[in-house]
Amino acid sequence: MTHDHSPHDHKARCEAALEQLFDFLDGELDDSLEAELKVHVERCKPCFDRADFERRFLEVIATARAEERCPKALKDRVIATLRAQGLQA
Amino acid sequence: MMTDIPEAEARPAPPQEFADAAIGAMDDVYRFARSLTRDPSDAEDVVQDTYLRAFRSWHTFQPGTDIRRWLFTIARNVFLRSRERGQREVTLDDEASAVAEASQAQEAWVRGGLDPILDRADLGPAIIEALAALPETFKTVVTLVDLEDQPYEAAAEVLGIPVGTVRSRLFRGRKLLQERLAQHARDAGLIPAVPSRSPA
Repeated sequence: MTHDHSPHDHKARCEAALEQLFDFLDGELDDSLEAELKVHVERCKPCFDRADFERRFLEVIATARAEERCPKALKDRVIATLRAQGLQA
Repeated sequence: MMTDIPEAEARPAPPQEFADAAIGAMDDVYRFARSLTRDPSDAEDVVQDTYLRAFRSWHTFQPGTDIRRWLFTIARNVFLRSRERGQREVTLDDEASAVAEASQAQEAWVRGGLDPILDRADLGPAIIEALAALPETFKTVVTLVDLEDQPYEAAAEVLGIPVGTVRSRLFRGRKLLQERLAQHARDAGLIPAVPSRSPA
C-alpha cells in the first residue's frame, strides 16, 4: 500500500482503506495491515479526512459513558440483596 | 421480569476483592442492561438478577480475566432467560444491513451535520438518546465496543455471535447513530438547516 501506481490503484487502495477503517481505529488490525493503512491514510487527503471524522465521532461516543450510570437506589438495592446472601460489605 | 433464581445454597461468600470489583462494575453492567432492554425497569431487573447469579457462582470466575466481560455474559444470559423461554431472538439480517452502506450523498449529509458539532461538550444526552433509539441488535454491540471498550472478540463472546457479525453490526450501528445525531443537530438548530436530507 505504499506506492500508488495509477489513479485506479489509488482508488482501490482508498476503497480498501475505508473498508478497514473501523478495524484500524479500533486497533483490531494486525501490525502489518495497520502500518500499511496508516501510511495510506497519512498520504491520502480524503481518507485522512474520513479517518479523522470517524475518530472524532468515536471519541465523542465514548464520552457518553459518563452520561449513564446505575441509579443509586438500584445500587443500594443490589448491595442489600447481596448482603442478605452473605456478602460482607 | 425477575427470573427464577434457585435459593442460595450453603456456599462461601465471595472474597472481598471480588465483591469490590464486581460492585465497582455496576455502572457498566447497567449500561449494558439498558442496551438489552427497552424499559429501564427491565434493565434494573437484569442488573439485580445478574449480581445475584454472579455472587452465587463467583467461584466460576477465572481470576486474571476481565470481570466486566464475565458480568456482561451473565447479564445477557439473564436477559435471554427473562424473555419468553425459547423465543427466538429478534435479529435483523446482518448481511443485508452490512451491505446497506451509506451512499456518498448520505455520507456527505451525515458528515455535514455532525462535523461542526463533534467538539461540543453538551452532546452526551443526545448521544444517549440516539443510542437508546437504535435497534437492540446494534445497540448492544455499540455499547460493548464503543462505551465499554471491549475488543471485537470479547463482544462476540458476550453476545454469542461471530466476530464478523460484531463487525457488521458495529458498522451499521455507528452509521445509524451518526445519521440520528446529524438529524438531531439540524433539528436543534445547531447547524444551518439544508433543504433536503438523504437518509430515509
